[in-house]
Amino acid sequence: MFRGPAVPANQIHDFHPPIAPSGLYWVVPVPERGLTISPDGNTFTLEMQNVPVVDQPRWPALDSIATPARMTFKMVWKSTGEPVRYEDPSKHFRFIGTRASCQLEAQVEVPSVGFSWKSDSLNTSKSDFAVIGEEVNGRYYDS
Amino acid sequence: MGSVGMGMVENSKWGRALRWPPSRRNATICCRSRWRGYYAREVISLIEGASMDPLTDSRRRHSRRDILKSSALAIFPLAVRSGNSSLLDQQAMTANGGTDPYPIPWLDKNGSHNQPAGANLEPSHIYHFKGRVARCSTFTGVGTDNQGNRIAFGSPTTDYGVMQGEFWGARAAQQGVFTHI
Repeated sequence: MFRGPAVPANQIHDFHPPIAPSGLYWVVPVPERGLTISPDGNTFTLEMQNVPVVDQPRWPALDSIATPARMTFKMVWKSTGEPVRYEDPSKHFRFIGTRASCQLEAQVEVPSVGFSWKSDSLNTSKSDFAVIGEEVNGRYYDS
Repeated sequence: MGSVGMGMVENSKWGRALRWPPSRRNATICCRSRWRGYYAREVISLIEGASMDPLTDSRRRHSRRDILKSSALAIFPLAVRSGNSSLLDQQAMTANGGTDPYPIPWLDKNGSHNQPAGANLEPSHIYHFKGRVARCSTFTGVGTDNQGNRIAFGSPTTDYGVMQGEFWGARAAQQGVFTHI
């Protein structure tokens, strides 16, 4: 979140899960029924409530203080139908899918500092890049 | 295997227990049993007041303090083995590592495993994975805080992703859904 233009100096909050000891980066499991995919595979809807996260306003500074917070959000991807294929044999990954639109609504809460925030409705947001599809990597790349 | 405790010698193999102070009959039983080794000699020494082994004839008579010391030392290895036995008694388990997914290994140039979203970049945040993926970045939007302030969110590095499918963990295929937020 930014007060003013989206530049590092104006950042006042940054919400994400902690980096796992394994190195998994801001990745958390999605509970059952958190992700729904339309029968035609063209719409992904991800909804999660009260996800434990941290607020690190000075991220990515190493000494950035992490304050416990909670995040609730809904995110919807919709395929545009434009096919894309990303593959790099040296990195052992292959993605085949389509471009997509993506919109987000969210609310966050930092109880210890009495801060909360709620976004406007889903249809008021937009992302400049989105894709949906299928990927194989690592040990599954050559199989 | 017998155990030597303070004032008592137990021998589970023969089902006999010798109590302190011993009677002459107890000492005889001990000798007839052909109980070999240090503990046996020590017990005989304690009971008779002198060793039957010519090599230890020069040993002085044992005081009550000596008896207490040797008894405590004799119990110690048995106590340790008892602790190990409790570990061995635990239910058998595997040791195949955790079922958490692997991070993307080749992203660790800066000591982190994050990766931007974009054309020709890998969408998944999990390695050894096959399944459905959605990825997005560069959000723009606005919201309101609890003080009524309008605060914008999103930047070119505001990215999310979701991965549903099979991944490798604990040396076996696992199923799961994960999100990068």
